[in-house]
Amino acid sequence: MKIDIMAFGKISEFIQNQEMDIVNINNTDELKPYLEQSFPQLAGIKYKLALNKDVVQTNLKLSNKDSIAIMPPFSGG
Amino acid sequence: MNKERYHRQIILNGFGAAAQQRLSDAHVLVIGAGGLGCPALQYLVGAGVGQIGIIDDDSISLSNLHRQILYNTEDIGKLKVVVAAERLQLLNPEINIVAYPERLTKNIILSLIKAYDFILDGTDNFESRYLVNDASGLLKKPLVFAAVSGFEGQLAVFNVAGEENEATNYRDLFAVPPSAGEIPNCEANGVLGVLPGIIGSMAAAEMIKLIAGIGDPLINKLLHYNLLSHEQYVLNISPAYNYLLPKTEQEFLAMDYDNNHASSESYCEIDVQKMQVLQQDPATILIDVREEHEYPMLDKGVYKQIPMSAFQAFLRTTVNEQNIVLICQHGIRSVAAAELLHGKYGGTKNIYSLKGGIAKWAGYF
Repeated sequence: MKIDIMAFGKISEFIQNQEMDIVNINNTDELKPYLEQSFPQLAGIKYKLALNKDVVQTNLKLSNKDSIAIMPPFSGG
Repeated sequence: MNKERYHRQIILNGFGAAAQQRLSDAHVLVIGAGGLGCPALQYLVGAGVGQIGIIDDDSISLSNLHRQILYNTEDIGKLKVVVAAERLQLLNPEINIVAYPERLTKNIILSLIKAYDFILDGTDNFESRYLVNDASGLLKKPLVFAAVSGFEGQLAVFNVAGEENEATNYRDLFAVPPSAGEIPNCEANGVLGVLPGIIGSMAAAEMIKLIAGIGDPLINKLLHYNLLSHEQYVLNISPAYNYLLPKTEQEFLAMDYDNNHASSESYCEIDVQKMQVLQQDPATILIDVREEHEYPMLDKGVYKQIPMSAFQAFLRTTVNEQNIVLICQHGIRSVAAAELLHGKYGGTKNIYSLKGGIAKWAGYF
């Protein structure tokens, strides 16, 4: 299935917005390690996922054409 | 209240005298008088918020001026809150402005927040942001959160119940603070002055909407703004249930907001007196990890300059000295450097970070 990946802040420096083809990944719990494997820099920082604009708080099922946002915390002022 | 002053907003459809009265009755605390705080304060003061508190312990420096537009070049060295209160009172003498030239700590924040109805977080570090979040949550004060990074901003309204009667807060997004050095700050990363101008103004708009009861404030939502594309992305926040907010003042005071970093055994945060003692030891090296363009410049004969941008290369070399003291502007990057050095040397060297950095010990440097 294909999902849209969108990254924010510091994360966008190493993850470009892209359509990603994922195989044998059915939910957000499975997606996280896959993302960290595909983009090793992600493993070292805190980030939050959002699925179709809803912040991911539990394991959510993924469907074709879903959009995933990856965002880090911002502290600057 | 002078109606003429607020005429243009009172005549707005859906605003009116009642909304103006709510602004006039409101007490708003703005935390941080920097890039976000300056524009937010100007619009809140202009709009006629009845009482505005400003807390910040920082002094104005030259590198602040490109974004902290309440201040001018002659103000360098003066306390931000003192200058801000003076300027803002000239803008609107009809409201009450209170300046708190103090460092935000867990010992003062609760009594401070209790005196206000609404809080605006315009701070510049995670330590303060979690402190403000938890204190506002404990006291159930609506909190407008604003933050910037690079060319992007984040904005949200916390502690206000939405349609499903659920309120969320920053810990629903990020349950625990990042460790030191994990996320860059403005000093290391840079910021275009107009970005906090935009996000700070948007924060003021959220505050005015909340108080006046107009529009749809970002309750249970996080807005992402990108200056380069003007794109906005609004996410829905639901409760995470994976963290514990302090529920009593005792629990709050028992929280460790300083401990954003790795275990204290790996390195030691010291004051300038301890640094002077270490300096007498020939086995000590002092390292300034700030970038070359940063002021004040220190004597490079005493403080070896190894900017964070070149620190990875430095880690591949070997330090002969037994004691390594790291210094930066505010003691945040130096902690990150200390962690990196600890990763390399473990317990075989004594690693120190000057707590509060050059800014805190400006008199010494």
